[in-house]
Amino acid sequence: MMPIDSLSLISIASYLILWVVTAISMPRQSLNFRGRVSIGCLLAGTLVAYSAATPPVFLLGWTLTVLPYLRDWSAKGNGSRIALLASLVLVATGNAPLALWLGNSGTMLAVLALVLATLLRMGIFPFHFWVLDAFESTSLPTLSLLLNSHLGAYLLIRFVIPLHPTMAVSAAPALSILAMFTSVFMAVAALAEKRPRRLLGLLCISQSAFILAGLANQTVQGITGALVQWWVVAFAMTGMVTVYVALEARHSGVHAPNGFLGLGSHAPRLAVFFAVCGLALVGLPGTLGFVAEDLLFHGALSAHPWLGLALPLATALNAITVLRLFAVLFLGRRAIHTVPIPDAQPRETLALAVVVVLLVSGGLMPGILIDLRTPSANALAGFLSGR
Amino acid sequence: MMETVLTAIVFAPGLIFLGLALCWLLGWVPPERLIARLTCGVFSLMVAATAWLVAMMASLGESSVRVSMGEWFRAGSYYFPLAILADELSLPMMVLTTVLAGIVGGFSVRYLHREPGFFRFFLLLHLFVFGALMLFAAGSYDLLLFGWELVGVSSVLLIAFFDERPEPVRNAIRVFATYRIADLGLLVAIFVLHHDGTTLFAGMFPGDWPEQSMRLSSGGGMLAGFLLLMAASGKSAQGPFSGWLPRAMEGPTPSSSIFYGAISIHAGAFLLLRSEPIISSSPAVSMATIGLGLATAFLGTAANRVASDAKTSIAYAAMAQVGVIFIEIGLGYPQLALLHLLGHAVVRTLQLLRAPSTLHDFHRLHAAGGGALMKTGEHYELLPVRMRLWLYRFGLQQGFYDAWLDRLVIQPVMRLSRFLT
Repeated sequence: MMPIDSLSLISIASYLILWVVTAISMPRQSLNFRGRVSIGCLLAGTLVAYSAATPPVFLLGWTLTVLPYLRDWSAKGNGSRIALLASLVLVATGNAPLALWLGNSGTMLAVLALVLATLLRMGIFPFHFWVLDAFESTSLPTLSLLLNSHLGAYLLIRFVIPLHPTMAVSAAPALSILAMFTSVFMAVAALAEKRPRRLLGLLCISQSAFILAGLANQTVQGITGALVQWWVVAFAMTGMVTVYVALEARHSGVHAPNGFLGLGSHAPRLAVFFAVCGLALVGLPGTLGFVAEDLLFHGALSAHPWLGLALPLATALNAITVLRLFAVLFLGRRAIHTVPIPDAQPRETLALAVVVVLLVSGGLMPGILIDLRTPSANALAGFLSGR
Repeated sequence: MMETVLTAIVFAPGLIFLGLALCWLLGWVPPERLIARLTCGVFSLMVAATAWLVAMMASLGESSVRVSMGEWFRAGSYYFPLAILADELSLPMMVLTTVLAGIVGGFSVRYLHREPGFFRFFLLLHLFVFGALMLFAAGSYDLLLFGWELVGVSSVLLIAFFDERPEPVRNAIRVFATYRIADLGLLVAIFVLHHDGTTLFAGMFPGDWPEQSMRLSSGGGMLAGFLLLMAASGKSAQGPFSGWLPRAMEGPTPSSSIFYGAISIHAGAFLLLRSEPIISSSPAVSMATIGLGLATAFLGTAANRVASDAKTSIAYAAMAQVGVIFIEIGLGYPQLALLHLLGHAVVRTLQLLRAPSTLHDFHRLHAAGGGALMKTGEHYELLPVRMRLWLYRFGLQQGFYDAWLDRLVIQPVMRLSRFLT
């Protein structure tokens, strides 16, 4: 029997919503046999990992989630395959009986391996390259499901912090600083980037790094903010990726735009969904992003009064990137001779409406969602403060 | 009763926005006539409700009405208080917002008739009014930030209203970037104020505006004061943040008038007026406020005289007047600053709404005066030629602020970004 606590249950429920949203909005040509197996593996693996009570079961789930990426080595995007294989090896090392047999130094080795696996999975600097590589060369809906499960952060929350609190406390400042550095690094790098896929990748890494920064700053508001940011990144990035994939399926120039594409005049619904998800990702008031970032900023600034400025700065820069990406895709005048593209199909509208309703209703009534995250946040803060 | 009416005034435009957005999401775009009636009806009711609130407060001798709705959310010791407030500062601003929004809404019904973005304009107008009322009626800095951000986002989306041309889109991105960087000041200031206690105005500034005291440590107060000044400068186009204002004139004239002639441009001044105890308690912050206002007033008046189009000229004139309002705040005359702000907002709204007819108005005035309008600018001939030329270049280049900003900030950041990618 696997015990299901509130953390597992909430993670499972939110991932199921993400999975359904992605599955119903995926372009039909991506839903071939291979595509179905990939998203099936991701669902099975993530659910096993979320409901795992012991590290070996978690390892099984982690393995299932990376399986879709460990085939076809001849294709583009080997960086992501190597990184995910390395993360698998690291999680296995962290679970190896040899580590426990070696005593204290073995435990330290195991924790180091698990922390490195987390950094790899989340694309934290200097392991960000594989996420950008994957954003450029692999199927975006599948990648979105892989990244938005946030299994790296879950590994920390479920196993590393509760099982090794002393070492987690020692590693927390370094992790927090690394995460804040990553968020600013990616935000600055995005300013000169023009390719939409890479921009989405940079936004994803930068905003996901907030989760690690919040978890590692050891304050209740920071940890709660991180757990809320988990939802924000998952839903907002899924919405943005869904819209972008829909545009790619309709217009060949989206991949490398030359100036403003002006697709908003033909696809106003897709434009609005993209804008709401993008602005929610960077903390638009009235969305869940505002709440998450309010908590995260206070947590980060309490823990690191000067370095904590990195998070508001990264958010400000990411907001500029979101608006720039929106403008490139949807604003401007379309060339007169181009064929009109269809707006959101009913299944896409349904999927994106679910995402937007969750982000907006969560932003208007955040108390309910925060209450769901409070027990986990208090427990983690307790571990990190030695209580 | 007064509490209910105050809450209804603040939240009504937000509900209208949500309702219109939901209609659109469900596939129904309301016809122009319905949007016009809804907008005019709601704004008329809001004006009537605000007038009733003012009358009731005057008759009962109440200096303020406070509504506490508890905590919006809490995590550990940190909480987000939900409190709205109508006092001698916020109430005039609310009256100004509802009256001008009603006028501009009515004007826009005709001005934007059959424009493809008619629905989008009114949707964003309601969002803007909601943000502005939330900003002015906020009972805490946290809630003020909520309104502050909504005002910023809605104004940027309206700058890019005519998106078939690339310039409005590029300018919208530039304005948004300026807003976001300046808003860092408000975000960090709120953290500093939380660190020093509460962000509720009632807790921080006991007493009635403008005779309030301050319960903050002097060090925290000065730091918060400088950060608030940074945020206020961004929103009110002062000092190094002044370059965005002429760019914002790309939006439709009605939105330019209410945003950059009346409400949005004065939001920074309002923030300083709300934080008056913090500003007045620190001579350094007061001096910085005066210096910033003085520099911007000089720039605005020089740039206004050489601007080649009516809207940009009015924008620079507005910037100069807001600079003077900053000086009044820095000198410790908050009531004078508020009065100046209200009068200025009304005049600029009228000027901007009439801007498309400037030449027509000028010709009529010229004809009415018998073809002999008084010459202006003759006093410049008293200055040496070299100084006149320098002043001309100074005005034409908008004080060289943008050139310096590009050279010292934007270009190095973009070089770093290209290096990182």
